[in-house]
Amino acid sequence: MKINRTVEITWHVIFMATVIVLVFPIIYAVGMSFTPLEDAYNNVLNIIPLHPTLENYITFFDTLPVVKVTMNTFIIASVATVFKVLTSFLAAYAFVYFQFKGKEVLYFLLISTIFIPFTVTMIPNYLIVSDLGLLDSVWGVILPQLADAIGIFLITQSMRSIPISLIEVARLDNLGHGRIMKDIVLPLVRPAITSVGIWFFISSWNEFVWPVLILKTTENYTLPLALQMYISSEGGTNFTVAMAVSVITMIIPLLLYLTFQKYIIGTFTSSGIK
Amino acid sequence: MSALAAVRKTLHLNRENAIGYGLLIPSIIIFAVFTFWPFLYTVYLSFFDWNMISPEKEFVGIRNYMEVLGDPRTYQIFGNTFLYIVILLAINCVVPYIFAFVIDIVLKRWNGFYKSALFLPAFISLVVGSILFTWILNPVSGPLAIVFGWIGLEIPNWTKSEGWVILVLSLITSWKVFGYNFILLYASINGISREIIESARLDNVPLWRIFFQIILPMSSATGIYVFILTIVQSLQYVFTPVKVVTQGGPDYASSNLIYHAYHEAFVVYRTGHSATLSIITMALFLILLFLYFKFVDRGIYYEN
Repeated sequence: MKINRTVEITWHVIFMATVIVLVFPIIYAVGMSFTPLEDAYNNVLNIIPLHPTLENYITFFDTLPVVKVTMNTFIIASVATVFKVLTSFLAAYAFVYFQFKGKEVLYFLLISTIFIPFTVTMIPNYLIVSDLGLLDSVWGVILPQLADAIGIFLITQSMRSIPISLIEVARLDNLGHGRIMKDIVLPLVRPAITSVGIWFFISSWNEFVWPVLILKTTENYTLPLALQMYISSEGGTNFTVAMAVSVITMIIPLLLYLTFQKYIIGTFTSSGIK
Repeated sequence: MSALAAVRKTLHLNRENAIGYGLLIPSIIIFAVFTFWPFLYTVYLSFFDWNMISPEKEFVGIRNYMEVLGDPRTYQIFGNTFLYIVILLAINCVVPYIFAFVIDIVLKRWNGFYKSALFLPAFISLVVGSILFTWILNPVSGPLAIVFGWIGLEIPNWTKSEGWVILVLSLITSWKVFGYNFILLYASINGISREIIESARLDNVPLWRIFFQIILPMSSATGIYVFILTIVQSLQYVFTPVKVVTQGGPDYASSNLIYHAYHEAFVVYRTGHSATLSIITMALFLILLFLYFKFVDRGIYYEN
């Protein structure tokens, strides 16, 4: 039951190298966001700024309504998350604790939407949002994202691990479904709900494809869309500003991840796909 | 028997089950309106010539399909899409599989750190990733170009060269996708009974055989899921770096089916062509899935 020492060390080297490739860009961005543009071109390899400055952040705040843009991003992410968690929780409860006809088919139908390419629903959804007069509005971004198949899947998995006898006893005691949901099931699946919620929030915060179709004016932009403006101007002359915007875009997701990583990794690893 | 009673009977609808259906109503409505109906409407649009603005849609039968399938550009896009899929599968399905196995079986230290660090980019916007890597891999003044310069290597001008552009955009996408797939595969491998692995190890079975003969078959359900997810979702994730960095260029060399469908609909306003491309994409996904399941079924049969 021994692992060859050389094999182990080789793999540690490979893992470390991969971690560096994945994480280095993030650290690099933070360093560059505090570097004056001239220095960025002269000392490309310096991660730690020689002449730290806030000018990149100031430029960003001067050229865009940053607070508004951050609020837009926050509103979209929070509203979408609350609805997705709620609809997923209710659907999961129905799938786990009821035996109605067509249950399997419905479950399969909802979960299979994970595999539908985005472009298949893109034009009609754009038309719906446009007909409702919600183009260029955060609500147009939110509207098609009120339910989520991955959420239903993960919360269903988590509920299935609750012993069914617990629910049966509660039913025999004439406890209504509302009470069972609130007092028994919810506390037991709370870790799963927390991490699924964080996952939704962050995915929605980072979302690009759908908002880029719906939002047209800069003051209605979300952070990823604002960030894109600094690269579209070919040549990357605003490179250090783009780094500052990147830092502002990633800070919330990073903090959430670093705070809740045990929960999140736990949910993704324990519910598994079996 | 009234109609309502008939419905009740076919659905076994008593008070209890009615609550079950009721809980599903919000999800069903949202999926019906924003997924299933749009799917049907896209099928419908693929038979019409329309520019999204004009009040009239002209019915053209299968002309959109003839045009799209008769256009050499489409085959270039198919080729690009295939190349993206192959690269993305290699990086985000094969490599994480091996990594998940190694971290579970071989490595005994720093496992928690590796898991957190590898999963981290999954939480960051791909626009951020695109911009960061565009700079880091900048062939003239980027940090990697400078380090490469010391050892006499050059970075190709990848945004402008066919082939390279697909490779680099796939790498940028993998930066985000890799960790997520890794965690899913790790979960599955970690769930395999330790006794089987331990006893194989006691018999001095080499690691690569443990991987192919125990781990791979016993985690195949997740394996298939990650395989499909990589094709379907990473191909959609690629949209972000393509849109941000190259807009499909140079001369469609970095476009794929997803980006091309977007381009047709929202850049040149040919909804018919866009809808047709989307339906073809979906059909290709279905064929791939079908072939894969067939192949896997045979594989599992052979195992036994």
